[in-house]
Amino acid sequence: METFVQSIVSGILTGSLYAMIGVGLTVIFGVMRIINMAHGDMVMFGMYGAFLSIAFLKIDPFLSIVIWIPLAFFVGVFIYRFLLKNIVPAGELNTLLYTAGLSLFIANFVLLVATGDYRTIKLKYAIMPLRPFGIAVPIPLAIAFGMAILITIALYWFLVRTDTGRAIRATSQEPEAAALMGVNVDRMAVITFALGTALACAAGVLLAPSLYLYPTVGEILVAKCFVIVVLGGLGSVPGAIAGGLLLGVVESLGAVYVSVPYKDAIGFVIFLLVLLFRPSGLFGVGKS
Amino acid sequence: MKKIVIALAILLLFTAPWIVSSPFFVHLMIMVLMWAVLGASWNILGGFTGQVSFGHATFLGAGAYTTMILYLKLGVAPWYGIPIGGLVAALIALPIGFICFRLRGPYFALSTLAVAEIIRLVALNWESLTNGPVGLLITTLPDVTFWGKSIDWESKIPFYYIIAVIALAAIVATDIMSRTRLGAYSLAIREDIDSAEAIGINTVQTRVAALSLSAFFAGVAGGFYAMYLRYIDPDAVFSIALSVEMVFIAVVGGLTTVAGPLVGAIVLVTFGETFRQILLVGHLILYGLAMMLAIRYMPEGIWGKLRLWLGVQH
Repeated sequence: METFVQSIVSGILTGSLYAMIGVGLTVIFGVMRIINMAHGDMVMFGMYGAFLSIAFLKIDPFLSIVIWIPLAFFVGVFIYRFLLKNIVPAGELNTLLYTAGLSLFIANFVLLVATGDYRTIKLKYAIMPLRPFGIAVPIPLAIAFGMAILITIALYWFLVRTDTGRAIRATSQEPEAAALMGVNVDRMAVITFALGTALACAAGVLLAPSLYLYPTVGEILVAKCFVIVVLGGLGSVPGAIAGGLLLGVVESLGAVYVSVPYKDAIGFVIFLLVLLFRPSGLFGVGKS
Repeated sequence: MKKIVIALAILLLFTAPWIVSSPFFVHLMIMVLMWAVLGASWNILGGFTGQVSFGHATFLGAGAYTTMILYLKLGVAPWYGIPIGGLVAALIALPIGFICFRLRGPYFALSTLAVAEIIRLVALNWESLTNGPVGLLITTLPDVTFWGKSIDWESKIPFYYIIAVIALAAIVATDIMSRTRLGAYSLAIREDIDSAEAIGINTVQTRVAALSLSAFFAGVAGGFYAMYLRYIDPDAVFSIALSVEMVFIAVVGGLTTVAGPLVGAIVLVTFGETFRQILLVGHLILYGLAMMLAIRYMPEGIWGKLRLWLGVQH
């Protein structure tokens, strides 16, 4: 029983970060109808950002998020304005191939600059895990979990309560009608892409103390991210949150009760089943 | 005129190692031809039927492992193992096709990625068959006499001729496909799958047939890869990066053309290998850049553009 609770808890902790990455991808899909293959590389940027903060700037990685989120937002604006904007009208498949190229470019650029060495971030205060109720909770994951919740709530508030948030949701639901109502669809696309990029980067910063860093880490993260957003229904923010938590829990239960090496395969099998039998997502809210 | 050019190209293909015989150059040509086969394989599915697969490493890996396992466990020589590897890849493609082709466009692409990852994890963990992450190693290749002479497997020249024959076969197969009913059906599916269905084309069958043919050549190239490098492990032959490289070679070279993948391989592999000689890592940065430029400025690919200037059809 204790193992069961333990794996559920660690699953939810990791899942909260998966959810953040997934939300980034899903809002971009919602507004622009593109599947961004380079999304995982934005997470990788965040991870290296956290590494740079502690190695050179001597700033705690969790605090450094206040630098990296705005920076990632501008990177997102730049990528959309100068690289993606002219490609999106050429169709979903061309955009898919284009962002795959962008992903390979970014990952190999980092490989050239930072080499392929595996790096880790060691935090002085994170040697021993917390033990509430006898369940081991690693401190970096606990902090990351708390911050992920805060960021997700802030995002939710932005999407639901602000005018820009409403305009983004309107564009996501029906771009043409939104445009007729006076929403600047192109502007919403820039903001959404930048927001998604910033979310991915923030998740990377939060994940960095708990994972190994290497330049091609985005490859596996983006694959997981597809699983999450398809589970929750492409384009749905609550779906991506649920999908992220679900994947985290499934992986962690799978590692305990099925087998450690196959835990990653379980996610992909569920992914295929959902794509085939419930293409609008487990909760039936996505747009297929 | 066209026949003369083709004859000259084939003559050049088979005499090239005698013209320039430096080991690096022969190695480069072997890699170019191997990637031309992989690009051609991807082009048969991705170019002609318009189905973007991000999981073609599955078929390469299946061919590579079949060839290796047949040789190491049953003593079947690799030159039989390579075509058998192709057939095994083509067989594996059937269930994958029937599952994944229920999805369209980007969803199909994502599903092939998922299948490829599942198969990579199986290869990584099925240790009794694949030796897991340690991989499989061939130390010696069997003795063969060819026209009274024993073949020297330490030289790269025999490998060059093997891959040259395979590459020629892949290009000829693409050419034949483009003229047959399968090619015509495929193009109809690429243009508009609903209309193709409406005029009575069995779109699932056509796409599965194209996938199987495509998988055969990826498997054959995989078998060759195993025999040439003499070492494989799951992350080397089943990786997402390999699948993506195949896509890039076909797209940059020119989709739906017969010679496009060869042109793509000549350009990308030559630049990539030269880059690797100088900087050791990160040569795929050029692939990424080439892909972005191609989609932005030349979506028909290098050969797609060139053939218009030259006024040839394929």
